[in-house]
Amino acid sequence: MMVCSLYPALRVTTPWSCSESHLGSCRKQLMFCVSRRKARRRAWTGVSCSAETRTVVIGLAADSGCGKSTFMRRLTSVLGGVAEPPRGCNAYSNTLVGDATTVICLDDYHALDREGRKEKGVTALDPKANNFDLMYEQVRALKSGVAVEKPVYNHVTGCLDPPELIRPPNILFIEGLHPLFDPRIRSLLDFSIYLDISNEVKFAWKIQRDMAERGESLESIKASIKARKSDFDMYIDPQKQYADAIIEVLPTRLIPEKSATEVLRVRLVMREGVKHFTPVYLFDEGSTISWTPCGGKLSCSYPGIRFFYGPDTYFSDEASVLEMDGQFDRLDELIYVESHLSNLSTKYYGEVTQQMLKHADFPGSNDGTGLFQTIIGLKIRQLYEQIIAGESSHGWKREQLRRCLRLSPV
Amino acid sequence: MATTVCGVSISTRRAVFVKAEPLRPRQTHARILPLLDRGVRCRRRTVLVASAPSTPPDISEKVSESIKKAEEACAGDPVAGECAAAWDEVEELSAAASHARDKLKTDSDPLENYCKDNPETDECRTYDN
Repeated sequence: MMVCSLYPALRVTTPWSCSESHLGSCRKQLMFCVSRRKARRRAWTGVSCSAETRTVVIGLAADSGCGKSTFMRRLTSVLGGVAEPPRGCNAYSNTLVGDATTVICLDDYHALDREGRKEKGVTALDPKANNFDLMYEQVRALKSGVAVEKPVYNHVTGCLDPPELIRPPNILFIEGLHPLFDPRIRSLLDFSIYLDISNEVKFAWKIQRDMAERGESLESIKASIKARKSDFDMYIDPQKQYADAIIEVLPTRLIPEKSATEVLRVRLVMREGVKHFTPVYLFDEGSTISWTPCGGKLSCSYPGIRFFYGPDTYFSDEASVLEMDGQFDRLDELIYVESHLSNLSTKYYGEVTQQMLKHADFPGSNDGTGLFQTIIGLKIRQLYEQIIAGESSHGWKREQLRRCLRLSPV
Repeated sequence: MATTVCGVSISTRRAVFVKAEPLRPRQTHARILPLLDRGVRCRRRTVLVASAPSTPPDISEKVSESIKKAEEACAGDPVAGECAAAWDEVEELSAAASHARDKLKTDSDPLENYCKDNPETDECRTYDN
């Protein structure tokens, strides 16, 4: 979308070209400075066409089989539209393209294909198997409005397929194992999320995923998790200290059995001081609250729901933690809980409930995973709107005035 | 009435759909759906699904082969890089199989696919009350 504002002008002076364009389209426009002579006073006015030039980049880090795809589908739904694989070209493309969003899977930046990794004896979790230079170059290009030819990694064959064209979207999601690993890429991210799934829950999810369908043996699942654990602990897990929001998924405390993973306890850790991000809170910001909604007004079935909110430190940074233990059984529980949460960044009452119901068939729709993922989606929407509003009102006018004043008057 | 039918049909589909599974960390969500009495988008068509989608056979074979190879690679030295790389391949293929199953599930209804591209046609109109 382009908005052009024209000030009265007599003559156009040197046009200033905004940014270099490499391959493909550059969305920024030319800016002109014009001079207008009045009787004894020279006033600079500007002619500018400003477009929605800023691509907001969000990073999502999580291990394989931890619900990244579900999270992405929820996020893209909250932000508008359905993100689908790009039509034509590669049937095994990992990219999702929606109206306002594009999701890039960082597996496409594998430097070694499956055969190469087998020869060298490295897993995909190892940074040696990934091309961080190319990742940084392309994310930077997309962020500045330049389309790129991104490689494609085929998960079925394990080979690198020919590249596909990716146009810069309004919101770019980069999801994968290492979005927060390289400090250069971290500096490009406007917001980052880490999905921290505990070992018991990860094991239960993998059993559900792999055994239910084709009867993969329990031993093979255990061996697979054990073999990848050391690389995961060394390379993937440390990324959580850099994330702005962390979603921790743990077994419930409501059921006495030690290893109960049917019901989940989900914690949303929100760092303080992140630009354009205001944490969600319960009743009173900064207090420590423990809340059991089930009781006189609301009846819940076993094991019920329990909420906790309070300030905390996370890797020696200040953070707020909102925790939900239990699961929703009925629609009115969801609405009741939503009406008591504050700072949700919803545009109307009941938006969180509506989004959850829209995707009632997704895994996690009746517990904290779905709830917090939806809330994060709304927060990202607010962050995007604030960034764009901030740039269009202040940043551009300040920039063009600065450049106008530098040019010599004619 | 149509709303109730929709609610029932969806939850029935869920009941037929789900096989017996040993551990279910996530419960079925059918109970929320029948309570959508107000403002529900109800399609005029009902969806009939015969059986749960299974993994495409080529991916399924690849997963089995990779498990065998991983077990062989780790028989010698369970700590070596080759062992980790082999099990990583199993994990990658299992994830690909899971995505393929999900894709089959969402692509199983040809009417849905048609309506995605042509929402204005008579068969695909939806009415919100």
